[in-house]
Amino acid sequence: MRFKAQIQNITTFTKFVASLTSLGPVAWVRLNENDVRFTIIPEQGTQVWAVLAIDAIFEGYTIQSAAENVINLEVPLGPLHQALKSALQATAASIRLTKKDNIPLLSITIVRNSIGNARQSASEDDDGGIGIGLSRERETTITQDVPVRVLSPSKVEGIHEPRCRDPDVHIILPPLMQLKSISDRFTKVALESRSVTAGLSAIGPRLEMAANMHGCLRLGIKTDAMKMASLWTGLDNPELDPSHLEGGMEEIQQHPSTRMKQLGGPDGQSEEGWAKVRLDGKDWGKVMSVGRLGGRVIACFCHEHALILYVYLPSERDEEESALTYYISSYSA
Amino acid sequence: MSDTQSRPMFSAVSGSARQLFLLLRCIGFSPKTRVQITEDELRFIAEEGGVMQGTAILQKALFTSFQFTPPASHVHEEGHEDGEADADKFIVFEISLSALLDTLQIFGLGDSKSSTFNRDPYTSTAFSAPVLGVTGLCRLSYASVGAPFTIVLQESGITTTSELVTYEPSSNAADIPFTRDQIAIKVIMRAAYLYDAISELASANPERLVLAADDSTFTLSASSSLGSAVVEFHRDNSRSQYASTVDQPGAGVMETFFVPEEFKQVYHFSRVVGVKKALSVASKVSVRADNQGVLSLQFMIENLEGGGVSFVDFRFIPLADDEDGSESDRDYEEGETAETADE
Repeated sequence: MRFKAQIQNITTFTKFVASLTSLGPVAWVRLNENDVRFTIIPEQGTQVWAVLAIDAIFEGYTIQSAAENVINLEVPLGPLHQALKSALQATAASIRLTKKDNIPLLSITIVRNSIGNARQSASEDDDGGIGIGLSRERETTITQDVPVRVLSPSKVEGIHEPRCRDPDVHIILPPLMQLKSISDRFTKVALESRSVTAGLSAIGPRLEMAANMHGCLRLGIKTDAMKMASLWTGLDNPELDPSHLEGGMEEIQQHPSTRMKQLGGPDGQSEEGWAKVRLDGKDWGKVMSVGRLGGRVIACFCHEHALILYVYLPSERDEEESALTYYISSYSA
Repeated sequence: MSDTQSRPMFSAVSGSARQLFLLLRCIGFSPKTRVQITEDELRFIAEEGGVMQGTAILQKALFTSFQFTPPASHVHEEGHEDGEADADKFIVFEISLSALLDTLQIFGLGDSKSSTFNRDPYTSTAFSAPVLGVTGLCRLSYASVGAPFTIVLQESGITTTSELVTYEPSSNAADIPFTRDQIAIKVIMRAAYLYDAISELASANPERLVLAADDSTFTLSASSSLGSAVVEFHRDNSRSQYASTVDQPGAGVMETFFVPEEFKQVYHFSRVVGVKKALSVASKVSVRADNQGVLSLQFMIENLEGGGVSFVDFRFIPLADDEDGSESDRDYEEGETAETADE
């Protein structure tokens, strides 16, 4: 089993890992020659299935294994994030799978060039640093080891991406940081009111999120003392692409979202035509942290059932987009 | 918004949610507030333990439109007021103040106009400073007695509607009485001076605040196990008159200094420190006490737009004097209200 690669987009990779870190301590990472898949299945909360085109983060890679060149690893996200953070100012960074004392490791080698911040690097990494002229062009190499577990194919074959019925409503979300700031405040309001009324139970605050096929998104919360809702209008409901559906145009006509289009209106005042889900406020806040990647987000609402978010990462080079898929189940009322 | 009644009992529109927020935040020490609506103003009254009361007054002028139709049958006419206004037609109810404040700053991160939501390092932690971005249209309404108090905020494509449950005001909700015609002390000064003084004293985390004044000095002192501190404000020496009302701004530390006879009174420091929010935004503060020792702090806060000023009022009941007699002051021993109210 061999894996080694140059990390070519350290900033994106680091942000990506950071946004996953909040959702779970470990990820199942599946590597093959086309893509890198990160999967987080926490005991409770949101599942993430993220697929990155391998070119989006790695270059000059070698991936070989006895199992059709697929490598499955269990990677602790916290240490991985820490390791990548120290690579943020690197001129080059590479990653490889290795073994030390019989423990499998992802070893990240980071090369930092000291030009430009000679003084800083002198105090940090070196006891020399007397002459600035001397310290020029000095390279620092840092190696970070992240212990991992290698998963056998049999161990992961039972894990499948959740399947969900066709969504009732799909909509492009407003900027996630904006959505997050509002939903975080809702969560805070709900928590505050709880401490005042000396709480019912240990369940987290529930946000109600709904959308219709006329560009409206509604986020609301209800507590003993208040009812609060924010309404966005004028968002986009992307058209379904017939080529992506088995039944083509015919299937589109049968699609639940086509039916939902008949209901409600663009001002969001009608009670009809909304697909609703109930989310845990805290978990939702963590999901929203993916906003730091700055991608386009399509939310698919299955009424009273689940919310699926597709986060498309902005890629500089080509059209082959990387996407993160979040599966969030709706709570019952 | 959802219940479109033909004509709500009360509705008002403000162009600046931030303005309302800045004023209401001053009385944010309490989770609940009493709301009192008259034809000219909206009052929010918060209190704590019966010994501290804060009132934020939102005058009609703060709103672009302000309409109030007092209900014929539900008018509270008991002239329970503190003697300032005769039984005006008004309505009273209680709402959650923390919920109201949270609503007003819902667009905390502000206008999605520009790059506010881009990945600048502040976006993720901006909850401490959201105040800075709060603007936008804000509509308040109260449809009828018992209906929720509704706030609608609008900003670039987002509408937030908040319906606050209204409660009957608690039966013992009465204003702390302050006798205006029996003033024992009146000092007006720049709020910044008092702010500095209170911050200075607060560092030792004292329990009690002693307020004293004679014909030349106004003194704040506090002591704790860590030590004691005294802040003295001297009356501008060039003024010879006792009850001088200085009109030139910035002439001295004190704008008004009226102390007919020596004054000394003790208050809960932790309560008085609750005015710091108000002090930090106010331009001037008027410190008054009546002959019962009730302290009134009135803050003048300049409006963000359109000139004019708003007022936030605080009242404190004094602490009973110590047994050791060190604080005893014959003239002000009638502080019996304080003994009962002090927890």
